[in-house]
Amino acid sequence: MTDVSVPDLGDFADVPVIEIHVAPGDVVSNEDPLVTLESDKATMDIPSPAAGTVRELRVKVGDLVSRGSVILSLDTEGAEVEPPPLTDQQEPPTLDAADPLAAAREPAARSIAEAPVPGATAGAGEVGAAAGASAPAGAGAGAEALADFDGVHASPGVRRLARELGLDLTALSGTGPKGRITKEDVIAGVRGPATAPPVAGAGIPEVPAQDFSKFGPVEVRPLTRIQRLSGPALHRSWLNVPHVTHDDEADITDLDAYRRELDTAAKAEGYRVTLLAFLLKASVSALREFPKFNSSLTPEKDALIYKGYYHLGVAVDTPDGLVVPVIRDVDRKGITELSRELGVTSARAREGKLGMADLQGACFTISSLGGIGGTSFTPIVNAPEVAILGVVRSKMAPVWDGEAFVPRLMLPLSLSYDHRVIDGALAARFARYLCGVLEDIRRLVL
Amino acid sequence: MENQTAEVLVLGAGPGGYTAAFRAADLGKKVVLVDREPALGGVCLNVGCIPSKALLHAARVIAETREMSENGVSFGPPEIDLGRLRAWKDGVVGRLTGGLATLARQRKVTTIRGYGRFTSPHELAVELAEGGAVSVVFEHAIIAAGSEAITLPFIPASDPRVIDSTGALEVEEVPSRLLVIGGGIIGLEMATVYHELGAQITVVELLDQLIPGADRDVVAPLAKRVARLYENVFLRTRVTGVEARPDGLAVSLDGAKAPATDTFDRILVAVGRRPNGSLIGAERAGVAVDPSGFIPVSKQMRTSVPHIFAIGDVVGQPMLAHKAMHEAKVAAEVIAGKNSFFDARAIPSVAYTDPEVAWAGVTENEAKAAGVAYGKGVFPWAASGRSLTLGRSEGMTKVLFDEASGRIIGCGITGPSAGDLIAEAVLAIEMGADAADIGLTIHPHPTLSETVAMAAEAFEGTITDLYLPRRPGTARSAT
Repeated sequence: MTDVSVPDLGDFADVPVIEIHVAPGDVVSNEDPLVTLESDKATMDIPSPAAGTVRELRVKVGDLVSRGSVILSLDTEGAEVEPPPLTDQQEPPTLDAADPLAAAREPAARSIAEAPVPGATAGAGEVGAAAGASAPAGAGAGAEALADFDGVHASPGVRRLARELGLDLTALSGTGPKGRITKEDVIAGVRGPATAPPVAGAGIPEVPAQDFSKFGPVEVRPLTRIQRLSGPALHRSWLNVPHVTHDDEADITDLDAYRRELDTAAKAEGYRVTLLAFLLKASVSALREFPKFNSSLTPEKDALIYKGYYHLGVAVDTPDGLVVPVIRDVDRKGITELSRELGVTSARAREGKLGMADLQGACFTISSLGGIGGTSFTPIVNAPEVAILGVVRSKMAPVWDGEAFVPRLMLPLSLSYDHRVIDGALAARFARYLCGVLEDIRRLVL
Repeated sequence: MENQTAEVLVLGAGPGGYTAAFRAADLGKKVVLVDREPALGGVCLNVGCIPSKALLHAARVIAETREMSENGVSFGPPEIDLGRLRAWKDGVVGRLTGGLATLARQRKVTTIRGYGRFTSPHELAVELAEGGAVSVVFEHAIIAAGSEAITLPFIPASDPRVIDSTGALEVEEVPSRLLVIGGGIIGLEMATVYHELGAQITVVELLDQLIPGADRDVVAPLAKRVARLYENVFLRTRVTGVEARPDGLAVSLDGAKAPATDTFDRILVAVGRRPNGSLIGAERAGVAVDPSGFIPVSKQMRTSVPHIFAIGDVVGQPMLAHKAMHEAKVAAEVIAGKNSFFDARAIPSVAYTDPEVAWAGVTENEAKAAGVAYGKGVFPWAASGRSLTLGRSEGMTKVLFDEASGRIIGCGITGPSAGDLIAEAVLAIEMGADAADIGLTIHPHPTLSETVAMAAEAFEGTITDLYLPRRPGTARSAT
C-alpha cells in the first residue's frame, strides 16, 4: 500500500481541497484524478500515481494541503497488503477518559435513530469526514510520532499515559535509568515545551519539612490532578519570568450599559454577555497595537517570536483547580460568538471535559476575579507568554470630570509582564490603550 | 428474540471478541456479542489452543513415562481410552466456555447465537442458530470474525479420513499412518499428539524448514527430535494429489527425498488459516476487505469505516489469540473515548510441540534481512542443571540485542516450557531492557528461566556457566 501525497506542482502551500473524486474502495487507474486543489492562480487535479484501489482518504473538502501532504492511501495492484498506517487516526487526546467530546469528534457517534444508511457510499463518506476531522491544526507535528513511538525508551504503561495526555514521547528526554522516559517525565512534559529536564530545585533551598501534628490535629488531602499539573507550571513561570505588575483602571460606565443591553437580549437565547468578551476583544486590539505583547522569547533568549494569530487564554476557576482554556482566533469573532463560546468553554472546564487541544496555543491570558472582588493582584505570566491581564471587580467611584465629581463605573486592571521583553513604559502605554478601548468601545470596530 | 440495539456490537466471540465485549461493557457500553457457535470462546477455546493443549499434556505424560523407563522408573506401555481422553478434554473446554458465559452474564453483555452479516454501516442481520433472524442496530461495531483452516482443492474434503485441526482434536481414532500436510505450528502440535497416541507420522512441508517463521537454529532441536521419532519428515515437498481408495488415501508427492506416492490412513491438512473477512457482508457496511479476506485497520483497530473496528485473525498475521485480546482492548477503549493504540513491540509465538519452540521480537533471519546490527547470546540447555534433571538436554535460549544500544530486540527459545519462558523476553523488550538488566536480574536456581539470564550474560561476556573464548575486541563489559 502506498500513501499518495501532493506532488511538487509549483510554488504553493496551504491550498484548499475543493473536490474529492474518489471514495475508499474505488478502483482507479494511473493518472485518474483523485482530488482537486485550488490555489490563488488555478485549480489543479492531483492524478493517481498508479493503478490500484483507494484504501482510505486522508483529506476532506476544505482541508489545506501543501506539497507532501498525504491525500489518501492506495492499494497498488498486486502489492502486498498491509494495514493502513494510523496517522489518520490520531485523535486529539483528551484529559478525561470518559470525555464525551471524544464521541462528539467521532462522526459515527450519532444516535441510532438517525443511523442506518444503506449502501457502501455512506460509509465511504464518513471515512472522508473522519480523516479530515482527525487532522487538527493543533495536533501539529506530534501526530505522526504519537502513532508510533518507535525507538522510544519507554515502557508500555508510560506509552499509554503519554497517549492519554497527548504527549509526543519522541520529543521528550527521559530521566530514568539509561534515559528511560518515566511516568514522572511524562507528567512534567505535559505542561510546556519539553526543554531541559528540570534541574532539581535549581539551587533553590527546599522549604524544610515540618511535623505540624506537633502543634495540633492535621489531615493530609492530596492535590487534585489539575493542581498537581498546574503547580509545577506556575512555579516554573514564577522562577523564570522577572515579573512586574502594572495597575490601571478603566471607566467602563458606557461599556457596561451596552453590555447590559446585549445581555438582556442574550438571556432570552440562553447565553450571557459578560465583561470578559469585551476584555478579549479589547486585548486583541491592544495586542495588535503593541505586537511585543503577542510574542515569546526564543529558547536561546536572543530573539522574539512574533505571533500572527490571536488565541487568548482565559483562566477558569473549577472545583478541581485553575485551568486556562484557550479561545482561538479572538480577532475573527464578535462579542456574541465569544460570549456563547465562553459559556460553553467554562461549563466544560468546570465539568473537567477540556482536552489538551483546548489548553494549548495561547498568546496572552486574562484572569478575571471580577465575580468575586478585590482591588488588585499580581497574576503570574503563563510563560512562554509574556503578559497576563488580571481584572478585579469594578466599582462605582467619584471621578473628577474637570468641573465636578461624577459617579463612574471603574474597572481596576493588573497587567503582569515579562520584564525581559517588555519595559515599564511600554506596559503603561499598553494598559492606557486598553483602558481607552474599554472606555470607548466604538474603537473596537476601528 | 427481539431485534436489538447496541452501543457496541461485537461479531465473533473468540478470545478477541469476548475480550472486546467485556472491556467495552466494563467501560459502560451496552454490548451485544454475536457468534455462530453455541459456546463462546471461538476457535481458541473450542477447537484450538485449549483442547490441543489438553491433548498435548496427555502426549507429554506418555513421552515422559516412556523416557523415564530408561532411568529406572517404568510404568509399562500406556493403555489409551480415547473416549475418556476426549471427555476430559471436552470437560476442560466446557469449564472455560461456561466460565465465559458467566462472565458475559455478570457484565450484562447480550449474547446472540447465530450467523451475523452486515446489511448497512449500522445494522447487522443475524441468522439465529435456533431458527429465525434478528437485526442488531449498532453505533459501533468490532469485527472479530476470526479465520478458518485452509483446504486444498485437490484433496477430497468430503472423505472423513481427511481432517483439519478441528477434526484432529476430536481424536475419533488413532490411525496407524498419519500424513500431516504442513510443518507449521498446528501441524506439528497435532503430530506430537498423534505420535504419542501411537500413530506413525509423516510430515510434509513446502519450505525448507519446519516452523518457517522461526530461526533455523531455534527449530533445530525440534527438527532433530522429530526426525528421529517420526516415520518421515519431507521438506521442500509438495503434495500434488490425493486419491481416496478403500484401503487408504493414496498421496502423490513431489520432493527430492519423498517417494512419488505413498498411502496413509488419515491426512491432517494444516497448511494455514484464512481470514473470514469476506464472509460477513462487510461490503454492505462499507468496510474495505482485501482480496485475501483480511480487513485492513489502523493502529487503533479502525477499519475504513470510522465507527467499525476489526481485531484478531481477520486483520492480519500473526493469527494468535493473545494478539487478538490486546487488539480487542484497544478497540473497546478507543470506542469508549480513550486514546489507546496497539503499539506492542513484540508478539510472542509458541509451538507447543515437544520440545516447545517460542520466539518473540526480531528473529535473526529478520535482523539479517533488515540489515540490523545485532549481537546475540546463546545458552545451550545442555549446560542447564534444571534441564538435565528434566531428562532433556537439547534445548537452547538465544537472545538478540541491538549492537548500538545493547537493548534486547528478540529472543528464541526451544525446550520444555519454552512458551512460558518467552514471556520474560517479551517483558524485557517492552521495557527496553539491555543485556546487563537481564543478566543482573537474579533468576531462581535451578530453573529453566536462568537460561534467559545466561544467554544475556553470554552476550555481555560475564557468563561463568559456559566457557566462551574471548573474541578479540569484543569485550562488552567493564566489569
